[in-house]
Amino acid sequence: MEVLKSAFDFSDFPRIDLCVAGAVAVFLLVFPSLPHSGFTMATMIQFLMFSVYGMGWNTIGGYGGQVDLGKAQYVGIGAYTTAVMMIRWDVPFWFSLPVGMALAVGWSFLIGYPLFRLKGHYFAIATIATSLVLKDVFESWSFIGGARGLKIPLKGEMPNFLYVQFREDFYYYYIILAFFFIGLFYINWFRHSRIGYQLRSIKDNEEIARSLGIDAHWAKIKAYAVATAFVAAVGSFHACYNFNIEPEDVMGLDLSVLIALMAMLGGAGSLFGPIIGAAILVPMKNYLGAWLGAKAGLAGLDLIIYSTIIMLIAALEPRGIWGLITRLRESRRS
Amino acid sequence: MVLLKVEKLGMTFGGLRANWDISFEVTAGEMVGLIGPNGAGKSTLFNCISGLHEPTAGRIFFRGQDVTGFKSFEMARLGLARTFQVYVATGDLNVLEYVMVGSFMRTRSRREARSKAEGLLEKMNLDTLAQERVASLPVASQKRVVMASALATDPELLLLDEVAAGLNPSEIDQMIAVIRWVHSDLNITVLLIEHVMELVMRLSHRVFVLDSGLLVAEGEPSDIVRRPEVIRAYLGERYVAQHSGRGTELV
Repeated sequence: MEVLKSAFDFSDFPRIDLCVAGAVAVFLLVFPSLPHSGFTMATMIQFLMFSVYGMGWNTIGGYGGQVDLGKAQYVGIGAYTTAVMMIRWDVPFWFSLPVGMALAVGWSFLIGYPLFRLKGHYFAIATIATSLVLKDVFESWSFIGGARGLKIPLKGEMPNFLYVQFREDFYYYYIILAFFFIGLFYINWFRHSRIGYQLRSIKDNEEIARSLGIDAHWAKIKAYAVATAFVAAVGSFHACYNFNIEPEDVMGLDLSVLIALMAMLGGAGSLFGPIIGAAILVPMKNYLGAWLGAKAGLAGLDLIIYSTIIMLIAALEPRGIWGLITRLRESRRS
Repeated sequence: MVLLKVEKLGMTFGGLRANWDISFEVTAGEMVGLIGPNGAGKSTLFNCISGLHEPTAGRIFFRGQDVTGFKSFEMARLGLARTFQVYVATGDLNVLEYVMVGSFMRTRSRREARSKAEGLLEKMNLDTLAQERVASLPVASQKRVVMASALATDPELLLLDEVAAGLNPSEIDQMIAVIRWVHSDLNITVLLIEHVMELVMRLSHRVFVLDSGLLVAEGEPSDIVRRPEVIRAYLGERYVAQHSGRGTELV
């Protein structure tokens, strides 16, 4: 009971924030009934996917302060579990989803145990390495399609809720929207839970955190597993939504970087940060990327923009846009 | 009952002998001061006892149990809490949340952790700051917050590392009152490192003196300041030679 109450307790936000959040929630719920193009719908679905990726990353990267640049490997585990189980054994999405999450979390414990012996930049580099190694393994593993990836065959009739195959995109939209809200309430509980406080204390000063009885190494591994469950779930969804997965798409370095970047731009360690970050970066990526690539012939410029954003965050406000808002408020109050 | 026993403890960093052959006992219910000039090895000794460093020689017993080589979070769970000499907060925790981190060691319930933290903040005159970010407070207040958080873990032994440094006289009086309250009302044994002599003299039942990594003297506060080896540690060989036999005291 206390857990549920805590998940729905937003009382520490000012009323204006809650009004904005409420308006956004209503907009998200009614969006499919508003006039929109197919491209806008695809962008919205991607926005929701990246929001959930970012929320997951935020547990270890934001609240825990451990910059993790290897989340794509778990997207891959989730996506491949769903795809392989569906193709080889005809297992529906809703059964392969928890299996994928469990496999990813299990792998994250194996990887996390040695990984969290490292700190700071060394940790960040090691996360990249582990993710790329797993991608190489997947690329040369013929059982799961190798580098060419997998294509999920279509079931006869649509809509198929069991296998999550739809002709109309709004079905996918509402499924990922459900993930989004579950994730949001979970993180709202998480940030006020024991593990949430412990992580924030570790981020502040690990020595002191340990002197307060916190097993920092284990707390980080646990948060890493939570983050992994989030991204693996969206990975599974990705497989069904795209019908087509390959290691380069779901396990690449740019996906790992994007996941971290969404949360960092919006505000690492804040509830709404990853959502704000995704709301800015996903449309930018899609519209700017499409426009630059097609019309101006400048494909790749988006990567330059990402790196510029990273540098700006690092130099100006490490807490991202949410940090900027907080700072403005504090200065106005005093 | 002997709460803490240190036996022939030694700690070297490469060629540097920070602690050497240190043995002492602290009985439950005592308030013990640990003094010595800068670089004497006081904080290193604290770090060894609290599990931050693993000593290179000797053994440590806490409540009769051999705890040599225990990690700091394990020591905390056994009932040993500490503060840190140098600490600058950087995170976004506010004061109440910071103290709740400590109380979360003994409970999983957010409600319990919160009420315990609020009680401690009130007792330590920090309740008006409860919603402030720790990082926005002056260093002296941050130290009090860390102390409150340490107390929230329900320790039996509290190690205080220079909690009075940088405080003005009235704040020192307040701090003395808080430490007395910790000792007598919460029944916590206190071992404190301090350069503010007034605080050590007024609070401690016994004082240990550390110099160049060695335990050079031990005794009652009024007695210890007259000992030549203590004066030598603080004021040097020549001072002792010039002033010998004139009833010199440190304070």
